[in-house]
Amino acid sequence: MLLLLLWLGQDLLTVLTGGGMQIPGLFMLGLTYRLLVDEGSEDSLWAIWAAFAGGILWDLRWVGIPGFFTLGYVVVVLIVIQVWRVIPPQGRESGTSLIVFVLMEVSQIVPPLVPVLVLGGSIGWSYFLMQQVYSLPAILFCMYVYLRKVRSNNP
Amino acid sequence: MVHGLTALILALFLLGVSSGLGIVKNIVDLWGSLLFIPEYPAVVLRGIYINWRSRSQNVEWLNSEVTRLRNENAALRLELAKLGGEKVFASADKEARTARVTLRAPMSWWSEIRIDRGEHDNITQGLPVFSRGYLVGRVSSVSAMSSWAELITSPSFMIPAVIEETRELGVVAGDGTGAVVLRYVPAGRGVRVGMKVSTAMIGEQLPPGLPIGTIAGEFGTGADGYATYRVEPGADMSGFYTVSY
Repeated sequence: MLLLLLWLGQDLLTVLTGGGMQIPGLFMLGLTYRLLVDEGSEDSLWAIWAAFAGGILWDLRWVGIPGFFTLGYVVVVLIVIQVWRVIPPQGRESGTSLIVFVLMEVSQIVPPLVPVLVLGGSIGWSYFLMQQVYSLPAILFCMYVYLRKVRSNNP
Repeated sequence: MVHGLTALILALFLLGVSSGLGIVKNIVDLWGSLLFIPEYPAVVLRGIYINWRSRSQNVEWLNSEVTRLRNENAALRLELAKLGGEKVFASADKEARTARVTLRAPMSWWSEIRIDRGEHDNITQGLPVFSRGYLVGRVSSVSAMSSWAELITSPSFMIPAVIEETRELGVVAGDGTGAVVLRYVPAGRGVRVGMKVSTAMIGEQLPPGLPIGTIAGEFGTGADGYATYRVEPGADMSGFYTVSY
């Protein structure tokens, strides 16, 4: 439900700015956050297909060609799952701020990078860089929420 | 892992084939129309923002346009006034009407003169009189055969004037002792000695552009921020025997 709201929020913000400002990938931030905090669950199938669905819907709404963001979203989820599996559960609870930041950053870099790499163009690159700048506050906010949650779980 | 790979392959497959499928367009349209309802508030908000921005831009544009038109209008008025002034000079030159100074009383030496032209010669009250092409005064009273003209050196003679080079306005007045001053010019406007002074178009009594003289020096600036300048009349105020009108 939260992911649906985040997807819709991202969509509404994009409508509101008329495409003039690159909105942070709220949906993928939320999905990454969920993957990071769901420590007990080893089954991450939901995340793969949620990313697939979210990506295809985003492509249908804003790109017109399904596949670009679908591919990016699925790749991000696979990266997050694999990296998170490598770290032992004890290690996830402490000293992972940098890894969490990197994973969240990956969730913002990879999806918009796919259309830029496929279609190319200097405008595409400038839009991509703009989005990275706008994404940073959202990533930091997510980090803050994540760290608070970790601390409250391990006082 | 299998699911991950399946999703990846599906995404790549979609990317490869969907651009050529006509049905994708229909799905895109359908999805867009379905999202219209939840997106409606954002669309309305964006419309309000765009309206507000275009309105403020319009106001800005209108303001700049008003300023531009005002400047243009002022420039045109100036041109018109110059043309009017040129017409006055041209008609004056053409007619070349001259009057002889018949009386200049020592008691009112710097204030008035009497000339030998009157109503019969179409002299009217307020008519400017010149010497060597420069304004020396204006007709203050008219009788049948003669008229009195108040000189620019008279203390009661006050007319709006303009410094031609800077377009600064002021009031030209006499002091009753042979000097002519230009008052009420805002200080620090780059007024220099030698700049030309002529009648201003804001004056109702005299046509604009009639040459009076040149700036000869500055008396000083008052506490009110306005400077007073000494004006050197173009005409020889103590030695003319005839005037033209």
